[in-house]
Amino acid sequence: MTELSATHFLLLSAALFIIGMVGVLTRRNVLVIFMCIELMLNAVNVSLIGFAWELHQLTGQIFALFVIAVAAAEAVVGLGIVMALTRRTDTVDIDELRQLRE
Amino acid sequence: MEWQRLIVSYIVGFVLLNVLLGLMAYMTWFERRVLARMQHRVGPNRTGPFGLLQPIADGIKLLAKEDIVPANADRLVFLVAPLLSFALAPLGAAVIPFGDTLHLFGIDIPLLVADINVAVLYVLALGSVGVYGIILGGYASGNRYSLLGALRSTAQVISYELVLGLSLVGVLILSGSLSLQDILREQQRSLVLGPLTLPNWYILSQPLAFALFLIAAVAETNRAPFDLPEAETELVAGYFTEYSGFRFSFYFLAEYINMIVVSLLAATLFLGGIDGPIADGVWWLAIKALFFLFFYVWLRATLPRFRYDQLMGLAWKVLLPLALLNIALTGLVRLWGIGAL
Amino acid sequence: MTVQVLVFWLLALVAILGALGVVAARNPIHSAIGLVLSFLNVAAIYLIARAEFLAVVQVIVYAGAVIVLVVFVTMLVHPDDLPEFHGRRPLRIATGLVLGLALLAEVSAAILAHGLRGTPGPWTDDTIAAVGGNTRALGQVLYSDFMLAIQLTALLLLAATIGAIALARPEAVSERLAAARRVMTISLAHPRGLDQPALPAALPEPQNGRVKEAGGGRPIVLARTADEFTEQPAWGEWRAR
Repeated sequence: MTELSATHFLLLSAALFIIGMVGVLTRRNVLVIFMCIELMLNAVNVSLIGFAWELHQLTGQIFALFVIAVAAAEAVVGLGIVMALTRRTDTVDIDELRQLRE
Repeated sequence: MEWQRLIVSYIVGFVLLNVLLGLMAYMTWFERRVLARMQHRVGPNRTGPFGLLQPIADGIKLLAKEDIVPANADRLVFLVAPLLSFALAPLGAAVIPFGDTLHLFGIDIPLLVADINVAVLYVLALGSVGVYGIILGGYASGNRYSLLGALRSTAQVISYELVLGLSLVGVLILSGSLSLQDILREQQRSLVLGPLTLPNWYILSQPLAFALFLIAAVAETNRAPFDLPEAETELVAGYFTEYSGFRFSFYFLAEYINMIVVSLLAATLFLGGIDGPIADGVWWLAIKALFFLFFYVWLRATLPRFRYDQLMGLAWKVLLPLALLNIALTGLVRLWGIGAL
Repeated sequence: MTVQVLVFWLLALVAILGALGVVAARNPIHSAIGLVLSFLNVAAIYLIARAEFLAVVQVIVYAGAVIVLVVFVTMLVHPDDLPEFHGRRPLRIATGLVLGLALLAEVSAAILAHGLRGTPGPWTDDTIAAVGGNTRALGQVLYSDFMLAIQLTALLLLAATIGAIALARPEAVSERLAAARRVMTISLAHPRGLDQPALPAALPEPQNGRVKEAGGGRPIVLARTADEFTEQPAWGEWRAR
């Protein structure tokens, strides 16, 4: 643990991912849940970059790049859905948005 | 020797920051004088010779004013937002080369703070983070006008940042590097067109990109005719309506520093930076940047403000397609080897 | 402990604190600020791992675009409508915390127990410098080995753009006017309303002060004075039913 290695990156990644996960599980606001998902995606990037650095590979960085691109696409569509939802139902509470279930 | 380079970098950065802050103060004087001339007025002329002490008087006045926090405000965010704007503004200058390496006291002093290999993207990243100063300031004021101003301004800055970034892609294709030092080196070669020998400045090979960059830069710095966030007739003063005293001056000064940094960037990317007909050096960069700063004031005196839908329409329906067209053309030229000039 | 490790954990600490702020803050704007803080520190950590291009892309895309959009949408939503202003779910928070801590302990134990296995690739610092920097090396690999993937990403982004436009497209003005016309009738202090406490036999029992006719016509709101009926229906409310 005295030299920087992929283990450090993995620990950070795990911490960020689990914080994001707890957020998704506990929060009720769609927007905050959305941010927590971004946090989890970002945590995955940290581990990918850690691996790439430790193993002298660029594939990890390229994967991270694709994750960022997918996250951006997801953000655009997700926020579009949130906008449409607030216009129709006037709420961002995930517990109240249950039209599909009923 | 690592630490020595680090210390030299810090010193160069410190000097640059102070020069920039001084220039920024005198930019306000320059703008007021030039604007006054254009409107048949005299401008500030009472404080010192030619009103040269006016910026100092203004600074003292702003610092001495009361710092008001509205009762409705989100206090911490309200206090931090202007600092964010102000702190991010001069960072862009760190990657702009101001000359070749200087030899002083046996030490090599590079006349730029950091030669990073993603310099152009770094400047764009600073711009995109700078939006937070605006949007958080507007939100935290707890005022409808501020919020609306912030929303408008954010939409504007995001849209024009896209144009700014895409307009630079042409330059990047030609130079093949994201480092400003490399881009500058490319431009110092000469361009032979039949009997003419011209400098290889990118304004000649990328005129469309230059025009797009200039328009987007004016919009990006929230200056007239794109100064919608502070459209006083509709939104009081946009996102900084509730700000007073030195927090207001932080926003105000950030705008001027942004103008200077963008002018330096435009001069470096398109006009060959420190390259000149005789005696290359920082003075050429200064002359070119001064031209852009004058251009800013000139625009403000000449053009009326855009309407909001016109502004967004211009970015998305005119400038963005043009930028994409420019990229496609540059790519084709580069591919077929005509670009190997 | 080397300086590198120290710097890493300093940045990681701020990143984790920012992330905790995202989950804990009541106000979504404060959550977003925490998220930006976290992202910026992670970008700095990428710099330690010699991924300069990724670091800048992280700042531009995540901090500069995605979170700005989130803040934008948050501002368009009325702040009083945010659920956490009305109350939280303590049971759910406790469960989430317990699950999270258990998972964290497990994953950390797994990470610490096993070393990294894998064959080192060719891209050491020297080979990257020989190619001409991180960006150039990344570009070469990206546009040779991952050509199909990058085309698919482009397609994905295009699809996302079209989807977002379709979702966020405002209704046509005529539709909106039609919706406004059929929203509701307010009968104010009608003599019959004042005199007769009971409703006419033809109308069903009112719910929430509103009566909907059996024929599916315009709903009637019973109100004696204008002040009694101050609640304006939101645009989507009647259309959604």
